[in-house]
This record gives sequence, structure tokens and C-alpha cells, in this order.
Amino acid sequence: MTAARILRIVPLYIILVVLCALWLLPVLSTTLVSLKSPTDFVSQKFYQPPVRIYFLENLRKVLNEYKLNAHFINSLVYALAGGAVAIATASMAGFSIVRLKPKLNFVLFLIIYSGTLFPFQMYLIPVYRLFNVLGLYDTRTGMILIYSAICIPFSLFVYRGFYTTIPREIEEAARLDGCGPVRSFVSIFLPQSLAPTAVVALFQMTWIWNDLLFGMVLSRTQHVRPIMVALATMTGYGGGNIPWIMTGVVFTSVPTVLLFVLLRRFFIQGMTLSIST
Amino acid sequence: MVVLLIVPMLQNIYYSFFEWDGLGKPVLVGVRNFVALFQDKVLGGSMLNTVIWVAFTLVFPVLGGLLVAVFVTGVKGENFFKSIFFIPLTISFVATGTIWTYMFSRELGVLNGIFKLIGLPLKLSWLTSVPLNTFSMLLAWTWQQLGTNMVMFLMGLATIPPDPVEACLMDGANGWQTFVHVKFPMLAPVTTVVITMAMVNGFKVFDIIYVMTRGGPYQSSETLAVSMFRETFTLFHMGYGAAISVLLSVIVIVISAAYIRRMTRRDLLYY
Repeated sequence: MTAARILRIVPLYIILVVLCALWLLPVLSTTLVSLKSPTDFVSQKFYQPPVRIYFLENLRKVLNEYKLNAHFINSLVYALAGGAVAIATASMAGFSIVRLKPKLNFVLFLIIYSGTLFPFQMYLIPVYRLFNVLGLYDTRTGMILIYSAICIPFSLFVYRGFYTTIPREIEEAARLDGCGPVRSFVSIFLPQSLAPTAVVALFQMTWIWNDLLFGMVLSRTQHVRPIMVALATMTGYGGGNIPWIMTGVVFTSVPTVLLFVLLRRFFIQGMTLSIST
Repeated sequence: MVVLLIVPMLQNIYYSFFEWDGLGKPVLVGVRNFVALFQDKVLGGSMLNTVIWVAFTLVFPVLGGLLVAVFVTGVKGENFFKSIFFIPLTISFVATGTIWTYMFSRELGVLNGIFKLIGLPLKLSWLTSVPLNTFSMLLAWTWQQLGTNMVMFLMGLATIPPDPVEACLMDGANGWQTFVHVKFPMLAPVTTVVITMAMVNGFKVFDIIYVMTRGGPYQSSETLAVSMFRETFTLFHMGYGAAISVLLSVIVIVISAAYIRRMTRRDLLYY
């Protein structure tokens, strides 16, 4: 290694290491605080290790007082149901747009795709009003409905992109053998759709889990409010008991972090899909 | 889908021409909401903040993401570094905001703690002094967003064929020249997408601000999305809120126009 090369490499490493330290700092300090008891937290410096591991007590407090477990279940229901509805609808719609080619399919697609472009604020007021009129405000059905609707455009985008890569010849061969469109969707397209389904499930379920805006506007009670709203209300404005809040952060973030670690391969695929357009 | 998204969108535009408290009868006021939009001092500040957010999004998360992506490729321990920048991506905006609220806390926060540790006589009110609060939140935003952009740029860099880069190096160009004249132009498609998405996200930012400052103190750190929420669901100025959201949507659509055009052109080719 020449001196010049070392001179180039060393600053690079220093920059990277410093940046990584900066990036890790919040994660580490959050974890550390969630292990401390509230009294330890106030009396200790931020970098000192806890006197005793207090995480379980904190967690119990968070679950009992802030009822995060109830919200946890709410969000789990929304993520699973919303994701499932979006997958079912979008896979079929993607199929019919790509293969059946109804008239004006492109316009249809553009209209649906515009659903991913507009800021959510654009739907907020009318949906809020509609939900009030229909009695869907502060119900789980209403939440599942709106989450599915928000998820469909992106899912459709992914499925449609994927289905265009399936060669048309396969379907034509199937048609010669007497397969109708429904049959060819079920026996040819669906079995191959594992990858896009995983991408859609991962992205949309995380999105639903992490949503704050719709949960805040369209729900009010503990039995309906999703988990991120509960976490956001825990903090109040600059106040609150920090070790408990941080335990709440750890508790609510574990599912998505695990999902990403387990399905990292599909995450990268999804990113590729969203930029290769 | 159409009932839940498209119809509300049109309805929303319709509402923006009314003055309405959400309960009584809406009163038609024409474009008065939009006129008021541009005379409202608070909203002016919120527009300024939104512009700051977008500008900083382009400088830190996007440019930073690009630089990190370039630096990190081919370095020993590449995967380790990548996964560290990747972590915040899996954490929600609410959790990010909460974590950074603690980091920025005046008495017990980590950042002021570090200042004290290294002997800096600084004890900042990160989230309550103007305009520092906006920049503090931008730091949290950068922490969360840089990973996404890095991943996208990494994928873009991976698609660049090695031949032109090697040819350039053979001709005696250094790493920097290669990057500017060969790699960066070839990254253009990815860069367009990243910039568009980052700007749109910058305009739409809501969760982080809502969690960290609620737009305060005294609406000083509000962006358009936060103002819209406050006007609509705290003050129940539904028509005015609708007008803000229409303004926001128009801006977002104008910005993503280039991207949409590219996408539709490709689609028309396909059919």
C-alpha cells in the first residue's frame, strides 16, 4: 500500500466511523434508558450503565398504565387485515389491467396511481366527514377500510410491474388448453407471485403499523386507536417519564425491526421496483 | 378505493371554497380561503419552514446519502457500515421523533450531556428556541431518511457498468474526476427519482414535527402539513384546512411532474 493510498483511505474511515457512531448513538441511548428505573435515570449521567436492569418493570408499567398492549393488538389487526385486503384486491386488479386490457386501462391505472402521489392531507377532511356520516368513525372496520384503500395504489403498482414480466406465451398456451382468465390467474399468475406479495406485505404492513395521521384523525378510543398514536400521546409536549416512554419506543419498534431483519431480501427488491420505473 | 380516495379528493377541492366549522352549514366564500392563505402570517412562516425542510432534505439526507453510498462501496466492512445506516429506516417517524425528543431534552438529554462531558459551556434548548427547533428536527429527519437514499444510490451505483469507469481511470483521471464525469451522469435516472421522492416527502412531513414540537412554540416550527392539521382538527376551520391541503397537493404534483412524465412515457411505449 502506498503512502498516498493510506492518506486517502484513513480520512475516509474516520468519516465513516464518526458517522456510524452518530447514527448508533440514538439507538444505544434509547436502549440504555429503557433499561433504567426512573430514579436511576434522573440521578445518573446519560452514559452510565443502570444499577439494576429495570426493563421488565418499565414494560409492565407501560402496558398497564398506557395500555400499549391493547393498541398493539389494534395495530396488528389493521396491519394484517389491511395488508390482506390490499394484496387480494391489488393482485386481481393488477392482473386484469395487464392481461385483460380493458379499454382505457392506462387511464384507469393513472387514476389509481395518482392515489400514491397526492398528500394524505388531501383526503383527510372528506374521509373524516364520510366516516362520521356512515358511523365508521372510531370503529375498527373503518380503520381497516381506510388503510386498505391507502395501500392499494402502491400494491397495484408492484403487482402490475411484476405481471408485465410474465411472458404472454404462457398464458396463450394455457388458453389453448382451455383456461379462462380466472383459471389462468389462479393457476399461472398466483403461484409465481410470492416475491411481489412479500414486498407488498412488508411495505404495507410496516406502513400501517407506523401510521400516525389517519389513526389520530379517525379514531378516539383505546379499542380502536393504533399504536403509534398511543406512543405519540405518551410523550405529551416535552414531558412524561422518559424511561417509560423509551420502553414504549422499544416495544413498538421491535415488530417492524424484526420484520425488516427477517425479510431484508424482499425489502431490497421492493426498493429496486420503486426506482426502476 | 375510488370511493375512499378519488371522490374525497374532489370533495376536498370543493370544500376549499367554503367556510365551514364541520358541524353547521358550509358557507360558500369562493376563493376567499385561498386569498386568506397568502395573507396569513402564521401560514407564511409555515411556508418558509416547509421550504427550509425541502432544501435541507436535498442537502443532508439526499446529498449525504449519495456521499455515504459512494464512500462505503468497496470499503472493508462495507456490510457492517451499510446496516448501521439502515437501522433508522425500520423505525417509524413517531419513534424517531420520540427518541430524538429525548436526545434533545434540555436537562437530561444526551446531546447536552455530551457537551457537558467535553466541557463545552453550551446548554441548548434544542426544541423550544426558534429557529434552532426546525434544524434540530431536521437532524432527526436526516438520521431517519439518509438510509433510504443511500440504499437507492447504492443500487444505482451497482448498475453502472465497470468498463467506462475503468477506461476513465486508465486515461489518468482520479477518483473524483471519474465520479463527476462518468458515474454521476450515469446515475441520473436514480438521482431524479431520489430527488423527487425526497422533495415530496419534505413537503409532506408531519409525524416528526407533530411528535417533537406539535409545531410550536407558537406555531414557529409548523410546516404546511402541520398547519393544515391544526386549522382543521384543532380549530375546525374545515374550509381553510382544505384550502391548505389543495395548495400542498398542487406543489407536490408540480414537483413530481417530471417524474410522472417519465413514467407515463415509458408506459405508453409499453402499450
